[in-house]
Amino acid sequence: MTLGVRRWETLAGSVQGVGKRRNQDWFDCRGTGSGDDPLVLAVADGHGSAVHARSALGARFAVDRFLPLAASFGRAAHDCHEPGRLTRLMTYARDDFPRALVHEWRQEALGHWDRNRPVVEEAAREPRPQEKLVLYGTTLIGAVLTPWLFVAWQIGDGDLAVVEHDGTLSRPLAPAEEDLGDETESLCGREAWLSVRMHWAPVFEEARAPRLVVLSTDGLSKSFASGDGYGEFVRGLAGRLAEKGLADVRETLPDWLAQASRYSGDDTTLAAALRPAETPLPAEAPAPSGTPAPGEISAPGEVPAPAEVSEEIPADAGAAAERTDGEADGDADMERKTET
Amino acid sequence: MSGMLDGGVRLAAENGDDVEILDFLGAGGQGEVYRVRTPHGERALKWYYPTLATAEQEAIVRELVTRDFADDRFLWPEAFVPAHRGSFGYLMGLRPDRYKGLPALFRRQLRTSPRALLTACLYTVEAYQALHSRGIAYRDISWGNIFFDPDTGDVLVCDNDNAVVEGDASGISGTMEFMAPELVRADPGARPGTQSDLHSLAVLLFMLLMNHHPLKGRRELGIHCLDEAAERKLYGRSPLFVFDPADDANAPDPMEHATVLATWEAAAEKLRELFRRSFTIGLRDPAARVRESEWRDALRAVLDAVVECASCGRQNMTEPGENPPPRDCWGCGARLVLPPRLTVTTPPPRTEHHIRLRRAARVQAHHLLPEPARHDCSDAALVAELVEHPSKPGRFGLANRSRETWTGTRSDGTVQKIEPGQTVPLRSGLDLDLGGGVRAVVRAR
Repeated sequence: MTLGVRRWETLAGSVQGVGKRRNQDWFDCRGTGSGDDPLVLAVADGHGSAVHARSALGARFAVDRFLPLAASFGRAAHDCHEPGRLTRLMTYARDDFPRALVHEWRQEALGHWDRNRPVVEEAAREPRPQEKLVLYGTTLIGAVLTPWLFVAWQIGDGDLAVVEHDGTLSRPLAPAEEDLGDETESLCGREAWLSVRMHWAPVFEEARAPRLVVLSTDGLSKSFASGDGYGEFVRGLAGRLAEKGLADVRETLPDWLAQASRYSGDDTTLAAALRPAETPLPAEAPAPSGTPAPGEISAPGEVPAPAEVSEEIPADAGAAAERTDGEADGDADMERKTET
Repeated sequence: MSGMLDGGVRLAAENGDDVEILDFLGAGGQGEVYRVRTPHGERALKWYYPTLATAEQEAIVRELVTRDFADDRFLWPEAFVPAHRGSFGYLMGLRPDRYKGLPALFRRQLRTSPRALLTACLYTVEAYQALHSRGIAYRDISWGNIFFDPDTGDVLVCDNDNAVVEGDASGISGTMEFMAPELVRADPGARPGTQSDLHSLAVLLFMLLMNHHPLKGRRELGIHCLDEAAERKLYGRSPLFVFDPADDANAPDPMEHATVLATWEAAAEKLRELFRRSFTIGLRDPAARVRESEWRDALRAVLDAVVECASCGRQNMTEPGENPPPRDCWGCGARLVLPPRLTVTTPPPRTEHHIRLRRAARVQAHHLLPEPARHDCSDAALVAELVEHPSKPGRFGLANRSRETWTGTRSDGTVQKIEPGQTVPLRSGLDLDLGGGVRAVVRAR
């Protein structure tokens, strides 16, 4: 089996929500997708309200802790063809990885809290660890891609979309029932590892590996008026990538995210991995000309549904949307480039 | 469609059936499962990953297919589907929707009850006992194989392609969590078999009831990604029960392991005792492991002793038998008030079953037998149940749901016949002849 000769390509970006004080999303992508250098990518969405005052940091800790853990898991998969190895990798991915991830994130958050204690009265009670962690509450979606394995994990809202080898779109980690309102599962939850969902997809033929893997925070999916708007967006993204190439999409991505953010009122972040097509797209794949590309017809909600309009959107939403994360008023180290 | 096979692909099973791929159902550690169309209706097709489609696995599947193991508790390989693009598979029944996996239980995505979980444990024990009694070792008991109905506790054992004839030295899959320590250590002469299955079964029961692994305490927190040496130590070289009475080095961490601290506290001592034995002496001495019959008797006894808290209505385990120690509700903390007890005495060898007469308590057919081959907690095997008087709330009686006419003798010596469908008022000292040499006596405590 000769897999993984060609490397994956990535694109990613993040835009601060209109009216938000700072961008509480975080993202990162590393690696090429080879056996020795797995591609790992993650997006996280800090909860952002007053009780989660440090959630921007929590989101960053989540991504920063996920990447090396997932890369290490991906490297461990190099011998997955040995008897019993895939079973072991799967049980690790399902049972142990979430625990390790939550444990590491907790250590990071509690360590930060210890080094950055709030000024309080001397007699004040030391908060319990769980109370400290709530300050850092965040979601996380992360994936690892190697020539033999595609595994993804998610806690809380946001979306993982996969354009399969034959062009079909799947959302393998979508919950059976959407979270109600703004409530979401979180890394700061009491037994957060129990809420981590896992997608497991060994790859035995490179030609059947996913064509495109898209991770995004809920600022993107919330921006669409119709239920399948997000799906259309991802199909359009795949089509545009096939038609115009990665460079073009990278250039346009910040505008799409800004537009999405304007409609959702939320920080909006996307990280995607693209497997360069070896041959022209099969006929059954959505034709670029037939499927509206993002930024055209299926761009984030032209007419947002009432329920999707955040109260945080100011009257002059268009003007506010021009504030991208580069203009965020947060810590300098929280600013992000919009490409990797 | 993701997976190794595309929708619409047609394969030929060795029994002659034409098999058409419909949907991808999921991927596991050994292969993928598809919903397929056959001339006999829709079935499930397990399709091995090419790296696991070995001659050895093929031989195991072929052997299992020929065994034709007709038992509704198992999704058994029914027909071999020969090689196609470097792999092969087998047909089995589709898992009905009512059966849910353990991950959903651990994630609190299921509404279930202590009674349903105890019933699931009892049925699980009997399912594996049924295999072992036929000389088949399962070798790969784990939480991925068991599915259960959260309402009734009915179980369905899947992935039966890992079962082999006892003594077969075929290799087993790679998860250490359920493997007996001697197999993890690869002790000379150690082979997967019914003795090692008993360890796996104890782990599975612990996970069903406690929602946690019995060896994953503080020590697991220091293990890094797929650190095989550390895992071998945790599960093989020096396994230590999280509730080992003599050594708390691997005790649960109050923050990371809050669930098991709570579930252990809520469990009946009769079961805790068996778990202690399984995960202390049983780790070192395979012959000392808890046998299926011991689990079965303890689980049935505890199941019969589940009561509802009068304050909050939650189901609680209590100690079986007379005069159990006082206990507080695991949910609200109120002291549990124990309802009367029905002692059912079977014909010789005269086994006693103690059933707490909680609301809607039931006597099942298995209560009438000294050594029931199989327990059935469904309506089909109902013999008697506690019912409330339709016009006098708070007054209860035992309704005869059997086909036998009972004879009841009150403590004052008066006798009455209770025909099928009739109800006898519940009174302390009531002595019932349930027919066939079975006697039942109502006791206040």
